[in-house]
Amino acid sequence: MAEATTPDPEVATTATGGGTNLLLQNLFNGVVFGLLLALASVGLSLIYGTTALSNFAHGEMVTFGAVLTWFLATPQPVTVPLVPVEFHIGLPLIPAALLAIAISAALGWVQDKVVWSQLRRRRVGLVQQMIVSIGLSLALVNFIQWWIGGRPVRLTTSIDPRVQYGPISVGNVTLISMAIAITALLGVAFFLQRTRLGRATRAVSDNPALASASGIKVDSIIRIVWVMAAGLAALGGILLALYQQGFSFDDGTRLLLMMFAAVTLGGLGHPYGALVGSLVIGIVAEVSTVWLPPDLKFATALGILIIVLLVRPQGILGKAERVG
Amino acid sequence: MTSNPVILHADNLIAGYLPGINILNGCSMEVRQGELIGIIGPNGAGKSTFLKALFGLVPVRDGSVTLAGEDITNLRADQLVSRGVGFVPQTNNVFPSLTIEENLEMGAYRAHKSFKKQLERIGDLFPVLIERRHQRAGSLSGGERQMVAMARALMMDPQVLLLDEPSAGLSPVRQDETFVRTRDINRTGVTVIMVEQNARRCLQICDRGYVLDQGTSAYTATGQELLKDPKVIELYLGTLGA
Repeated sequence: MAEATTPDPEVATTATGGGTNLLLQNLFNGVVFGLLLALASVGLSLIYGTTALSNFAHGEMVTFGAVLTWFLATPQPVTVPLVPVEFHIGLPLIPAALLAIAISAALGWVQDKVVWSQLRRRRVGLVQQMIVSIGLSLALVNFIQWWIGGRPVRLTTSIDPRVQYGPISVGNVTLISMAIAITALLGVAFFLQRTRLGRATRAVSDNPALASASGIKVDSIIRIVWVMAAGLAALGGILLALYQQGFSFDDGTRLLLMMFAAVTLGGLGHPYGALVGSLVIGIVAEVSTVWLPPDLKFATALGILIIVLLVRPQGILGKAERVG
Repeated sequence: MTSNPVILHADNLIAGYLPGINILNGCSMEVRQGELIGIIGPNGAGKSTFLKALFGLVPVRDGSVTLAGEDITNLRADQLVSRGVGFVPQTNNVFPSLTIEENLEMGAYRAHKSFKKQLERIGDLFPVLIERRHQRAGSLSGGERQMVAMARALMMDPQVLLLDEPSAGLSPVRQDETFVRTRDINRTGVTVIMVEQNARRCLQICDRGYVLDQGTSAYTATGQELLKDPKVIELYLGTLGA
């Protein structure tokens, strides 16, 4: 089912085109990329909202979901760095993905328990914490390269045949990925809006000191946010690896800038800012390739970020609060 | 009032924000159940720090705080809320992106089963908040926010309510409202300790006042006595008999 191979360059290019109307096709591709980017970045936004930490290691959390899925699904014997045992796991893709998300979420819990909650308790400054996250990012990206090697890896060898829907051509796996992304994002919205724990998460985002003075255990809420963020990042990483028909050890690292751009564009710390920002970034990046060279697509997306911030410094959804 | 049992006792508190620099140098206070206490003093006397030390927001280096005989020194804020202490900060005292109702829900976070009942009770004290329950707290004026903040702190039905300069930054009319409301809250049986810049107005409604000077509690007397005290008049009230 799955094995480590280099993606066929032909297949890789057809994944982003093929429709009869270039503009509509690219708009659609932009929505797909935007939704998957949103999955990856919503956790980044929640972590920033509740702890004010810019987590530079978030990209590796995205890659990690794909790595774990590959590790659990590949029929070939695999090893883990520093572990002198060969594994033959070879689970089907879906159980492997679910297990990978669960393990990632658990690692989110461990990460906060071992690193971030300790730094918060010792009142380490935010800049210092950010530097720690950069160090963690470098360590993780090198660890992942050590693990899976420098070449792209595929989660599945089966090719997703494209189906023509009016002017747009799209594969079924992509449609299912979109449905999963939308369901997960609606789930996050439901959690934040409709559950007591979710409202407490928004309260901690607004004002951690006041949340504590209201009787909310702020550290427990932050722990939950880390678990959610890690799980969602892993899901995003898996779906992106399927959409792009393969992934490399540094895909998440390269995605980090887009995630930061999406979160900033939408409104820093705003729970739905990541979604809106990701869709804008995704659509602008893909649609720009109609007129501009594809190499420039992320630069165009970042250009939009600058323009939006000049007009709305608080981001698209960020609200300017009255003072006093 | 003087026959009521002591509910909160602060004994010789020494506390400060930075290592080696003490803001409080031996502050003591004894509060009886149902009292309305005002803490007054010049700028920099440590009034707000004293209140924050009682609520565990400033580390207490020496001395102790007891609530109904139990030691609560340096407990976390959420633990104090569970034990019946409420705190209303001077600034940033609402959750701006949450609605008024959600703000009140957060106030009752530890007792969410009684949320509906508490909401009705608070509705009697602050009917306007119930009318506008779906409005975002970030869109409210300073006075309205102060109301939400007090209501939020009352949702857990605290025994003791700590108010940090509730009238700061409000118009004179809103200030009067705040003092009247504080008196009303106290009359429902809640022990209130308030820090105030507006010493005269505060002493008018207080059962007892504490005068703080340079991090120590200089003296205490009833509000009426302090209003007539020549030293208090000279230092904090400005003109005689105004």
